[in-house]
Amino acid sequence: MEQGFDAIVVGAGPAGCACAYKLAKAGLQALVIDRGKFAGAKNMWGGAFYGAELLELLPDFLEEAPFERYVTRQKISFLTVEDCLSIDFASPKFSQPAPHGFVILRSKFDRWFADKAQEAGAIVAPGLGADDLLWDGHRVTGIKAGNDELPASAVIACDGANSVMAQKAGLQTELSPEDMKQGVKEVIELPREVIEQRFNLSGREGMAWEFAGSCTQGLPGGGFIYTNQDSISIGIVAQLNALVKRKIQANDLLEGFKSHPEVARLIEGGKLVEYSGHLIPVSGINMMPELYRDGFLVAGDAAALVLGTGLILEGANFAVASGIAAAETVIKAKEKGDFSRESLSTYQKLLEESYVLKDLKTFKKAPHFLENPHIYNLYPELACDLARRIFIGDGQPRKTTWNTLRGSLKGKASLLQILPDLWWGKGAI
Amino acid sequence: MNIIVCVKQVLDPDIPPAKFKVDSASKQVVPPEGIPPVINPYDAQAVELALRLKEKQGGKITVLTVGSDGADKAVKYAISMGADDGFVLSDEVFEGSDSFSMAYILSKAVEKIGEYDLVLCGRQAADWDEGLVGSIIAESLGTSLVTLAEDAEVVDEGLKVKRVTLDGYQAFIVPTPAVVTVSNEVGQARLPSGLGIISAARRQIPVWKAADTGIDPSLVGSAAARRKLFALSVPARERKCEIIEGETPAEAATKLAERLREAGAI
Repeated sequence: MEQGFDAIVVGAGPAGCACAYKLAKAGLQALVIDRGKFAGAKNMWGGAFYGAELLELLPDFLEEAPFERYVTRQKISFLTVEDCLSIDFASPKFSQPAPHGFVILRSKFDRWFADKAQEAGAIVAPGLGADDLLWDGHRVTGIKAGNDELPASAVIACDGANSVMAQKAGLQTELSPEDMKQGVKEVIELPREVIEQRFNLSGREGMAWEFAGSCTQGLPGGGFIYTNQDSISIGIVAQLNALVKRKIQANDLLEGFKSHPEVARLIEGGKLVEYSGHLIPVSGINMMPELYRDGFLVAGDAAALVLGTGLILEGANFAVASGIAAAETVIKAKEKGDFSRESLSTYQKLLEESYVLKDLKTFKKAPHFLENPHIYNLYPELACDLARRIFIGDGQPRKTTWNTLRGSLKGKASLLQILPDLWWGKGAI
Repeated sequence: MNIIVCVKQVLDPDIPPAKFKVDSASKQVVPPEGIPPVINPYDAQAVELALRLKEKQGGKITVLTVGSDGADKAVKYAISMGADDGFVLSDEVFEGSDSFSMAYILSKAVEKIGEYDLVLCGRQAADWDEGLVGSIIAESLGTSLVTLAEDAEVVDEGLKVKRVTLDGYQAFIVPTPAVVTVSNEVGQARLPSGLGIISAARRQIPVWKAADTGIDPSLVGSAAARRKLFALSVPARERKCEIIEGETPAEAATKLAERLREAGAI
């Protein structure tokens, strides 16, 4: 019979691997299991990781980690059916692999991260899913996997959006489509030189490019493109309840996005090598479950630790940070020999002290604000229309920019419509 | 009963065709990025037969594989199914070995293990589908051999093996030690249990280099290969659409027949 583990981590994604790595480094007996054939087999994200956690946690990250490129160009574009208005930000500060951002393919990266946890002393067991929890009264005492019972002092649920573990622990009820976005992504292979030429990159430089506007047909959400070394990740994220209500398939949005004239030229001649889809919990702190109970912690997407501000949609850094905080909590609990709810409440405190819960609190109103359809149809239309009026010389006498703006607004929106959005947006994002 | 099972890692048969690539210059398959190899499914079935024999007879199952980084995963998979022990045979000099050398490498490891009643192999590897290594191991060890087994049981005289034929089976009784290659008719290989996966994950799989089993380096590797791969490429598939027209259906049909003959299709 197996001896009990100090901790069983369910799910070998960024949260789970970070947690298991940290636990193992502290000398705790940690088991990390994952339902996929290998760590990363079933995992998906858009493609970019922002933040310093990985560099801090893994000293050999830059030399060893299988990341694709580091983000040196950050681009945001507003789309109408035909037009595209972009902001392209580059800075010498981005021109070295600083902890700014990395473009990463999960199937490679998660396996590497899991191997790191294993090297540190954790037991990594892919191909094994947790079906249920073991209980002693109110206390979680381990997991059930198939016919096997695996006891542990603490179970850490890092099993992603729609966390079965958090539901079994009674911390999360069934998720509602209002709180979720659906992401769909294709990986399109292109020769490295072509990618570098089309995106103006060289070496390991990479681009993260977000799109808003016609690509979601007015639904809350957006499009994205990330450059890998020899391929491009391209995808769409859209509010799930809006997709259902409008009877639109996310992959139809993606097809539309790919055929936008500005986008089509970027992927022309490429070969589709991968297609994936995923749910993203986007209501932030409004949907966050209780994060702990006796013998049990929730981290990463499972705890809905995702930040969407309209300009960014981040979750992986929150996953890593929360995985580390969960590990620190369990390490302290082990020292005290106390895995009770009270002892594990350290976890909440650690997250409150870090940017994780601070950011989610700062942007508490953002999810609701971002449901405003103006953001996805009116404003991209206005922005592109204004640009067209400013840049096209049509032989007519020019107007001042202010009057051009008024011309753009005419018939589309009144200042009275826009002012509340501005006022509301000021507090939300 | 002491059973040794030889297993190989192959490309995951579940990879989408778009991810399959070959490098014609080096005449090698390019492993798809991000998708690790898996235990050859026929070899997992050989482990399955070994486990069934062990359940009836008791004994020990030892797994062998030849490979480099990550080859221990194949051994660990077999251990997670229920095998007892395993070794990875790994050495730079093994690079480019053909089936004869592979069988030699495995035979030397079998001899090092020493006490064995049965060596099991999958009927063939799911990558090249040659099915040679098992038979050559029997030759090198000088044991009896049955290929394409769908079942085996221990009898007084040794081992009774059912061998798959086109529309039935042959039953052989062979003295042990014997080499048996296992066909897919043996049935689904069991899935590893949770405890099996964990106990396998905990194991360190010992690695034997050429010198550890007394291998003569001149008999292995690409220099010793008795055949060379001449060319490797993914067949180019061409599709073309032509519209054959004619005044009457009969005329169109005649033109079509002529065109097809011209193209060598009929």
